[in-house]
Amino acid sequence: MAAHFAAAAARVLDTATKAGAGYADVQFWTIRQEDVDVRNGDVRNASDVSSAGYGVRAFVDGSWGFCGSDRLDDAGFDLAAARAVALAAASATVAGRVPAVLPTERVRADYRTPAAIDPASIGLSARAALLLEAERAAHVAKNVVSAYAFMTLFTTAKEFYSTTGSAITQLLRQAGSGCGASAIGKDGDVQTRGGPGDFGLYQGGGYEVIERARLAARAPEYGREAVLLADAPRLPPGPRDLILDGSVLNLQMHESIGHALELDRALGWEANFSGVSWATPDRVGKLRYGSDLLTIVADNTLPLGMATVAYDDEGVRPKPVTLIENGILRAFLSSRDTAAEVGLPQTASVRAQDWASVPIVRMTNIVLEPRAGTLESIVADTKDGILVGGMRSWSIDDHRLNFQFGPQIGYEIKNGKRGRIFKQPTYTGVTPTFWGALDRVGGREDFEVWGTPNCGKGEPEQSGRTTHACSVARFRNVTMGVVSGA
Amino acid sequence: MPDRDRALALAERVLRAAKGADQAQVSVTIGDASYARFARNYVIQNLDALQTQITLTYYAGRKSGSISTDDASDASIARIVARAREIAVHVPPDGGFVSLPKPAPIAPATHGYDAATAAATPAERVDKLQPLFARMRASQLSSSGFLTTQINTVAIANSLGLRAAFTGTTCGLQLKAIARATSGYAEYYSPQLGMLDARAVAERAALKATLSGEPGDIAPGTYTVLLEPSAFAAALKALTQGMGGFDVLDEKDSWMVGRIGKRVFSPNFTLRDDWSHPLFASPPFNQNDGAPTARLTLIDRGVVKRYVTDTYVANKFHVPDTGHPNFPVNSIVDPGSASREQLLASIERGVLVTRTWYERVIDPRTAAITGITRDGVYLIEGGKLSRALKNFRYNVAMVDALADVELSDTQVLSEPDSDTLVSTVLPDAKIARYRVSAETAFA
Repeated sequence: MAAHFAAAAARVLDTATKAGAGYADVQFWTIRQEDVDVRNGDVRNASDVSSAGYGVRAFVDGSWGFCGSDRLDDAGFDLAAARAVALAAASATVAGRVPAVLPTERVRADYRTPAAIDPASIGLSARAALLLEAERAAHVAKNVVSAYAFMTLFTTAKEFYSTTGSAITQLLRQAGSGCGASAIGKDGDVQTRGGPGDFGLYQGGGYEVIERARLAARAPEYGREAVLLADAPRLPPGPRDLILDGSVLNLQMHESIGHALELDRALGWEANFSGVSWATPDRVGKLRYGSDLLTIVADNTLPLGMATVAYDDEGVRPKPVTLIENGILRAFLSSRDTAAEVGLPQTASVRAQDWASVPIVRMTNIVLEPRAGTLESIVADTKDGILVGGMRSWSIDDHRLNFQFGPQIGYEIKNGKRGRIFKQPTYTGVTPTFWGALDRVGGREDFEVWGTPNCGKGEPEQSGRTTHACSVARFRNVTMGVVSGA
Repeated sequence: MPDRDRALALAERVLRAAKGADQAQVSVTIGDASYARFARNYVIQNLDALQTQITLTYYAGRKSGSISTDDASDASIARIVARAREIAVHVPPDGGFVSLPKPAPIAPATHGYDAATAAATPAERVDKLQPLFARMRASQLSSSGFLTTQINTVAIANSLGLRAAFTGTTCGLQLKAIARATSGYAEYYSPQLGMLDARAVAERAALKATLSGEPGDIAPGTYTVLLEPSAFAAALKALTQGMGGFDVLDEKDSWMVGRIGKRVFSPNFTLRDDWSHPLFASPPFNQNDGAPTARLTLIDRGVVKRYVTDTYVANKFHVPDTGHPNFPVNSIVDPGSASREQLLASIERGVLVTRTWYERVIDPRTAAITGITRDGVYLIEGGKLSRALKNFRYNVAMVDALADVELSDTQVLSEPDSDTLVSTVLPDAKIARYRVSAETAFA
C-alpha cells in the first residue's frame, strides 16, 4: 500500500520530540464504512461514511498522552503533537504511577487483508437487490410484520510511524451482513428470528464475505421460525442439558472468556466501566477455567478474523498464544505495558476504534479449538436437552461471572431428536461452573469464524471488531428459563 | 461560540453544492473532548479528540443517499455531493419518506455553554483529580474512573430553509472507589467544570466503599429497593427506549401499545422531556433532522400520555412531529416530597442499589429488564443501612415495578448515554417490589 502521510508524520513526531516527548508514534487512518439497510421493501439507509485523521501518542516520564485529530495541515499537526505531550506531562505529575514501557522496536512492514472480491466492483444497485431479495424471501406468512436485511463494508488504511523509525502500512477490510423477520402471534406477542450468527456473518475480507452469508437462501427459514416462535410456549424453568450452536456459542465465548482475559481489565484499568475479571494474572497455570475440552487460542493472524492484522496499533507483531489449555488458564490478551507489568507474553491485542480513539487492549480474535462431531451427531447423542440459536438479549456482571443469555429459539431434544420449539429459551450460569460443564465440542464440520463489529469498551466508549471462531458445544445441567416480575 | 457559527457556515456551503437535489440535508458536528482516565490512583490514559463530521443526505424523490466525511475542502464537498447523488439514483426508493422538516421557529438556547469548561487544560483536569487520589490513598482504597470536559457542536441545514445550530459543554466525573471486599461509586455531571467538587465526590464514593466489611448474602426473592439516581436512570431507559413512534406505530413492539391514555404507573410518577432544564446542555432541536423539539409531559401522574416522533415517522403516520429521535432525549422524572433519608427510613427491610450494569430489555411489551448491581449494595433494616451485600441479578418488568414507586425530593443529572446522547434528570426511587433472581460471589 502506498504511504501518503510520511511527511506529515515526520512533522508530528518532530514537534512532539521538541516539546519533550521521550518517544512518540502517530498513526494516520483513512476509514470508509458503506452500509445498506432494507426493511419491508424499502431501502431505509444507503450510506457511505469516511474520515481521515491521526492519533498521536507521546511518552513523557513514564506516562502516555494521546491526541486524535482530523486537522490535516501543519497547524493541526503541531497542535495535536503539543496536546499529546501536554497530556502526558500532566499525567506524570501524579505520584505512585506504574511507569509505562518505553518502546524500542523499529519495524518496516506492509500488509493488506486478502480479499477475493473488491467491494468497489459491486455497484449499489446489486447490493440493494441482494438485500431486497433476502428481505422479500423472509415474508413467508401474513403475520410476518416486518423483515430486514443489511450489509456493511469496512475499509481502513493505516500508516504507523514512530520516533524509533517504524513505518507500517496496512490496508484492512472487513464485511458483514444479516437478515431476519418478526412475526406477531395470536396474543400480540412479537418474536424475531434472524442471522446468520448472533447478528450477522462478519469476517475479514471483501465482498465475498457478503456472498458467503447466503442471505436469500436463509431468509425463508428465519421467516418460518419467526412465525412458529410467535405462538410457541415459553420454556419452563428448570435444569437441562444445553447445546449452543455457533450463533450463541461465539457470543458466550465473547462475554465469559474473551472479555475476562483482557489483561487491562484484570489489572483494574477498566474497573469503573466494563469491569474487572474473576481471572487474575497470579492464577496463570493454576486456575481451572473449564473442562478438559476447553482450549482457547488468541490468534490475530487467523484467516477471516475481524481483528487480523500484521501489526497492532502500537506496532507489535501478533503470533498465536494459548489462553486456556485443556481448561487451565495460561495467558491473557495484552498490550506492551500490561504484559510487562505481570511478565506475561504480548499478544498484540491493542486496537483503537479509529484515529480519534486511544489504543487499548481489545479482545481481537479468539478461537475455541474444535474437537469431534457434527451438530447433528451431538443432538443424536442427547437424551433430554435444548438446542438454542440466535440471540435476543445478553447480560453479564462486571467480573464476567454471572450471566444470563436469551437466545431467539429453543428446540426441544428428546432421545436424540428435535421436537417442540420454545420462545425465550433463557439460560443462566456462572462462568467456571458453566465451562466446567462443557462435555462436547463439535468438530471442523460446523466450525465458523464469527465476528462482532461493535464490541464496547473504554471511556469514552470505543467500538471494536472481534472474532470468536468456534464449532458447537454441549453443556450439562444448565439452569434454564427465567421468571420476570416486580 | 465560534464552533456553532463555523458549523452552520460549513453546512450551508455543502448545501449550496447539493442544489440539484429534490431535497437535501446537511449536518455538521464538531467535537473537542478530553478525558483524564484513571485507575489505581493515577492517570492511565489522558486524551483529547478533535473531530468534525459532515453528513449530506441527498434526495431524488423518495430515493436517498447519505455520505459523511471530515474533509471540508472544496474538492471533498464536490466528491460527496457526486457520491450522494449516485447512491440516490441507484438505490430503490424508501416508500416511507415524505419530506424533510420545513423551517419552524426554534426556541433560543439560553444555557448549556460554559467558556471556562471549554478552555480547561490537561493540567487543570489532573489538578482536580489530585485530592481525589489523596482521599483514596488515605483510606487504602484504589480508584477507577475519569474526568471529562467536552465541547459539542451540531448544526443542521436543509434545502427547505431549515437552519439550526447549538454548542454546549459537558463536565463529568465518575469514581469507583475499591476496597478489599466492597466498592462504592459516585458521579457528577453538569455543563460546568467550575461547579465540580471532586473532594465531595471522592468522599461519597469512599464512604460507600468502607461502610461495612465483608458483604453478606442475599437470597433470591422480591424486595423493596431504593434505587439511587444512577441505578434508576438505567432502569428508566427500558421505558424510554420504547417510547418512540416507530416502535409504537410501526413495529408495534413497545410497552406503550394498548396503554396510551391509561393509568399504568403510580400517581407519584411523572415523566417529562424538556431540553430547557438548566442541567442539560442539549440543543432545542432534533439532532438528526433539525425539527424543533417540543417540551412534553409523557407520563402524567401515572397516566401514559404520548410517544415522541421525528419528522419521518410523523409524516408517514400523519401524527405531530415532536422533534425527537425515536426516543425521549432529555428525560426528567419529577421529584417527590420526601427526602432521600426519609425514604430510607421508611423501609423496614429492603436493599439500596447504587449502580447497575449490563441492563438489557428482555421483553419490550412490559419493559422487562435484567441486569446486575455493582459498586454499593446494602441491606436496609429498620430504616438504616445495616451491611453490604453481594451483587445480584434482577429480572423486573418496569411496567409493574413503577406502579408502586415513591421518589425523593432531590434531582440530579445522571450520566448521559454515550450511544444515544440521552440525558436524564431524576431523583432516588423507592420501588416496592423488585425481583432478585440470583446472587453473585462478590460485592
